[in-house]
Amino acid sequence: MIYVEAGTRSLRSFDAQLIFAEQLSARGYNVCIDAEYLPENAGRGRIYDAAKFLVDPAEHTAETVFVLGAEEIDDALLASLRKKQLGPGVPVIATGRFVTQQSYIGAKARLAYALGREAKVINLTDFQPRSLMPSSVSPLVADIRPVSRRPEREMPNVTVVLGSMELDNPETLSCFSRMSSQGGYNLKLIVSGTQNDAIKASPFHDLPTYLYTGLSPLTLANTTDILAMFGHGIAGVRMAAFAVELIAAGGVAIDCTEDEVLTSSGAPALLGPKTPFALDAYLIGKVIGNTPQISDQASKSQWLHTVDISRLETAAGLKRKRRGPVRTKPRTLFFPTNGVGLGHAQRSTVIAKELPDTVSTIFAAFPSCVPLVRREGIDCVPLVQRPDTKSNSDGNDILTYRRLGATLQENDTLVFDGGYVFDSVYRVIRERRLSAVWVRRGLWPEGRSRQTMLRREGVFDQVIVPSEAFEELNDAYSYGDHVHYVGPIVRQVEQSAEENEKLRARLADRFGREFSQLVVSMLGGGVASDRSAQLQAISGMLEARPDCLHLVVTWPGSAVQPAAFGWKNTHVVQTLEAIKLCMAADLVISAAGYNSVLEMLYHKIPAIFIPQSAPYLDDQTRRAMALAERDLCAMITEREFMKLERTVSEWLDHDCAEVYRSALSKIELPETGASRAAELLTKAGYRK
Amino acid sequence: MSGMSAFRRSNSPKIAYVIEPRFSGGTSAAVAAELPVAAEFGQVVVHAITSRTFGENQHVSPVLRKVLDDLQIPLVWDAPFISADFVFLHNPSFLKFQDTLGTKIIARYLFVITHENFLRPGGEEGFDVSTCLSQIEVSTISLRKTLAPISPYNRKAVVNWLTTSRMARYWDVLDCDWFNICQTDLSTPCETPQDRRGRHSRPGFEKFPAIADLDACFPKHSQCNVILGADALLEARVLRAHWNLLPFDAISVEEFFGMIDFFVYFTAPTWQESFGRVVAEALAAGKVVLANPDTGATFGDAVLTCRPADVDAIISDLIDHPHRYHEQVSRAQSALDRFSAGNFRAMLSSILSADSGVLT
Repeated sequence: MIYVEAGTRSLRSFDAQLIFAEQLSARGYNVCIDAEYLPENAGRGRIYDAAKFLVDPAEHTAETVFVLGAEEIDDALLASLRKKQLGPGVPVIATGRFVTQQSYIGAKARLAYALGREAKVINLTDFQPRSLMPSSVSPLVADIRPVSRRPEREMPNVTVVLGSMELDNPETLSCFSRMSSQGGYNLKLIVSGTQNDAIKASPFHDLPTYLYTGLSPLTLANTTDILAMFGHGIAGVRMAAFAVELIAAGGVAIDCTEDEVLTSSGAPALLGPKTPFALDAYLIGKVIGNTPQISDQASKSQWLHTVDISRLETAAGLKRKRRGPVRTKPRTLFFPTNGVGLGHAQRSTVIAKELPDTVSTIFAAFPSCVPLVRREGIDCVPLVQRPDTKSNSDGNDILTYRRLGATLQENDTLVFDGGYVFDSVYRVIRERRLSAVWVRRGLWPEGRSRQTMLRREGVFDQVIVPSEAFEELNDAYSYGDHVHYVGPIVRQVEQSAEENEKLRARLADRFGREFSQLVVSMLGGGVASDRSAQLQAISGMLEARPDCLHLVVTWPGSAVQPAAFGWKNTHVVQTLEAIKLCMAADLVISAAGYNSVLEMLYHKIPAIFIPQSAPYLDDQTRRAMALAERDLCAMITEREFMKLERTVSEWLDHDCAEVYRSALSKIELPETGASRAAELLTKAGYRK
Repeated sequence: MSGMSAFRRSNSPKIAYVIEPRFSGGTSAAVAAELPVAAEFGQVVVHAITSRTFGENQHVSPVLRKVLDDLQIPLVWDAPFISADFVFLHNPSFLKFQDTLGTKIIARYLFVITHENFLRPGGEEGFDVSTCLSQIEVSTISLRKTLAPISPYNRKAVVNWLTTSRMARYWDVLDCDWFNICQTDLSTPCETPQDRRGRHSRPGFEKFPAIADLDACFPKHSQCNVILGADALLEARVLRAHWNLLPFDAISVEEFFGMIDFFVYFTAPTWQESFGRVVAEALAAGKVVLANPDTGATFGDAVLTCRPADVDAIISDLIDHPHRYHEQVSRAQSALDRFSAGNFRAMLSSILSADSGVLT
């Protein structure tokens, strides 16, 4: 294991450690950073970056140690080195920008005191006489790649680093907005937190912005073809590393800084306009269309030699191991979020089963969904659920990020079924250069911020929207060739009348009592909306019916209110086969989730719907209302207890369900969309 | 000394000390110890230089302040010119963070006393010697410029450094050591030595060997292991139940010596004491000292030289044979005579008179 250490412990040093660790890792080395280095104020982005590198040094033996920023060495580093008790064969390489010979000698001596032997100390001021950032702890090196290995894209990705640019001129954002809308290139902006706030508060809030710590410099460089850097100087070491990485990888850097910081360091960058108003014309007129020639010229620059990471590798005696892909066959990974129930996971399995056998399919799912996936014969990587919905901790998503990262490699396809696009999903798509598909159900509730929901849509190659059954429910949230509407995706089960009778007989046997009426309640586990009062009311009214069996059906693992267990006629059943119980039931009372409603519709099961409501749910009331208006169901709101009692009685005693059953039998439903979704996914994988 | 009095009367040379008075360790102590002796030879003026190493303040090391006050020697800060028959510039390493010595030195003879080793074990430079000596060289007009090592190891480092430096032609090397005066009251050794070990030093990483060597020097089976100056070990949580780790100023040196019978002193193998005042203190306190050969070389057979792995066997033998322990302490304390003020006076006399044309 290669340890990347730093002379001092600070945010600045930590950034340098992360950048260098990622570079070494990308070159095939096993790299780590002592977890003690993680600064308290690291911030969200850095924590994700760091997650794959942080280790407890007691658990990993050092085979090589790199010390960055050796021009300033504190006792914490020396203690860390001494505690490692490195063997004499473990190379220790330190880099620093030593202004005087004494600072070099002093650093060398201090390292030697801690190590008990000499370290190899590299003076970067010799290595890089004109550094992009003379104060940088980072060695600012990169993997020099042949221009020919650059991926070709239909439209170049242009990244603009705003740097210290003021956004007080309203025309500035308007200009970026125009640039973002035109079709010659894909634009993204790298901004500070303050700039981001200003943009989000402006009419141009949909501009694609990324914070400095949003993605690692290496990932930024891998997803950028043309970089334009504005402001005065370079906006921190991450941006400097981004520029170096990009140029080394054959990308085009345009120096738009006021002080021409890129070109004055000798970097082979174009000297661009110092105002964003002239950038579009410059890109269209001078750069795009000429990028191969520009990159070719840049690749001949002697400057590249000064940033060549292999010089540090040579100093350390490292032999580069080219990590080939672990698998040769690409795989398609489904990541359904768990939401309230298992709806996302169920929909994903329905699509997965429609994929041709040639597609290697795997799931990554939260524990509640794992059995559902595995019973379909699909392998599943278990994830860890967020401890509770109120917690703001990113801990479980960092673990998801690590597991997705470990499971996926370049050219794989990630299918995310969920609403909010987690950092883990967004990062792993970018970092692993995946083909990415977002299965995004509609019917967002009023008040949900579309801007927030769609912020990360751009990371996906395709968006598949499983439709609702009725057209008025199919709202459009984004547009473009990448958005595909498919028919409703619903799991369909065949169960004959005879099988229904057998199931009822098994239930009678299981619960030790005969019954003539079977009632199934599926009101959720109380995660989104507490329906215990309704359940109690239903259980209470059915308790007086000795010939009635009432089953409270939930997903396996759902929390069930203790009060549900206090009734003679009511029993709790946790099952993945709720639909089969519903098909055998005389009365179904259900929440109005996407899957439940479609299952009732497509299996022609009359039901009483009690919509749930929560800010993160879809609009169940609208969905239930659409059915009710067509006499396809009864709808009861959460406060209508009298109506609930009356309706249940009417359905059980007067067969009022018949009117709904009749309507259901006549209704023409749209063709289901699982096959079409699978077809789109298959194409997505091939396109990569 | 009668001869000395005679030449003081007939010809009293001007002696200028050039020092950075803010050194907190051995340099200031060494200068403080030798000033009374030097004052016997002539008019002594002490020039303080403000260096970048210690910043702008004009703090003076307390030990030095006391001697200057006792001898009523003025301390002159940053004189533009220093003129004397003899100029003794102590520890040139204080110039390592700057390019220019802002003082012109005009002397018949310049001696630069090399308190800090020019080279570390293994041959790497201890500090930017060229920068320091260059500043002195270009600021000085003198008949001869001499580097004065303070111990055998320190001499070896000076000589080896000069062999690789273009500056060698500007500098002579004094052929005797400009040793530290170590004149303290001698304590008698304990009657029956026990396995009570300890070490005392400043807390810097250079002063401590590898953790494995510390473990070998201060093992579990020892009756007590006192490590005074263990600040870095405490900070890094390098703890052992059988170690008594004390910060540098936690107890007095006298208290510390009262707790041990064996002074076991190893440093980082990449660093070497240039003199080893702490060793001399331990010897004077009646302790048996075990150290590495280069440290021991300053003190001859006063120190038992060994490797950390050998420490146990040596201590065990001396506990089993207390007479050997007593012999060793006796031998060591006799050897300390070498570092007496008298011997220093003789050394200085020879320097001031030999070929100088001043003390004749």
